[in-house]
Amino acid sequence: MPKIPVSKLEPGMKLAKPITAKNGMIMLGEGTELNATWIDRIADMDIVNVFVEGPPIQTISKEEALNGLNTRFSRVEGKPYMNAIKKIVKVHIEGLYE
Amino acid sequence: MSNIDPKVLRHKVENINTLPTVPGVLKRLSVVLEKPRITIVEISAFISSDPALTTKILKMVNSAIYGFPGRIASVSHATMLLGLNVIKGLLLGVSVFELMQKTMNGLYEHSLGCAIASRIIAQKKGLKEPEEVSVAGLLHDIGKVILALEYPAEYQAAINEAQAKNISIYDAENIQFNATHANVGSWLAEKWRFPRNLIEVIECHHRPALAKNAPLETAIVHIADLLVRARGFGFAGEIFVPEVNTIAYELLKLSESDIKDVLKEMEENMESAEDIS
Repeated sequence: MPKIPVSKLEPGMKLAKPITAKNGMIMLGEGTELNATWIDRIADMDIVNVFVEGPPIQTISKEEALNGLNTRFSRVEGKPYMNAIKKIVKVHIEGLYE
Repeated sequence: MSNIDPKVLRHKVENINTLPTVPGVLKRLSVVLEKPRITIVEISAFISSDPALTTKILKMVNSAIYGFPGRIASVSHATMLLGLNVIKGLLLGVSVFELMQKTMNGLYEHSLGCAIASRIIAQKKGLKEPEEVSVAGLLHDIGKVILALEYPAEYQAAINEAQAKNISIYDAENIQFNATHANVGSWLAEKWRFPRNLIEVIECHHRPALAKNAPLETAIVHIADLLVRARGFGFAGEIFVPEVNTIAYELLKLSESDIKDVLKEMEENMESAEDIS
């Protein structure tokens, strides 16, 4: 579930987490489909980011992500269990870009 | 070589209330935590007396880190549900948040990721109190905060040395301080009367084979720590994944699908967890 700034909200998006007032009171529940009115109201509240439903947005490219993985594991290549762990993490990271 | 005497270091840690670098909120908390017989009612009152703290605690207990169904709306409900030890740990966790941001950028994300991963592994292994293991994951690196706060230049030197010499931050700390964040964290946990298992997890999370009382919990936090680094969430003083302790790994016997589940849950919950601040 991506977290996006209020200015990027569009009608039709669904809330992945409820919007709460400072005291914890729920103003809009989880799963609410946003329309123009709700978006205006949210903009009037003191809120910066909102969680909406959907796949997470990756901030770096797949190539960068996999390069990072290789660097992180560079000291433990061939050590017991480490290649197996790395493989699982690699499959996981690749899955984020499908 | 280091000119820091570990005895002096320990003395400083044990008198954390008098350190000028430590912010007031932590000092007030320290006074509460070190009381020998603090009750759940007192803790609850302490949290409730501070609206900012109340908000943080409620956000935390309602977050993916704990994964309780439904919404916990009051501090008293949260304390009853989680118990004294978990609430004490949480209180410390949310109180050091800002300090973590200031002293080591990324350490809070690392700690949150580790808390989530620890809880999921604990649940998979059928531990009775997954929340306690989660708190251990949240606090396992608290020693780094104290070291970086009290000795900023030396800690930066340790980070640089780890990079230059291709060694772990743990070993670099040992060179700089004749002690590590694991020692410092466990001294603090002891001073604040945390349960024995939690002290041991903090003390042994880099060397889980030494854990006597809580080998399973220690192994869990050790593996959780490693998986968070493997995925690349946050920063704990170095970017490299350390070698897994084979005894801990074989003790847990996590299957491939277990590890996949941990990564998946971490992925889904990290963003919302970072919102806790």
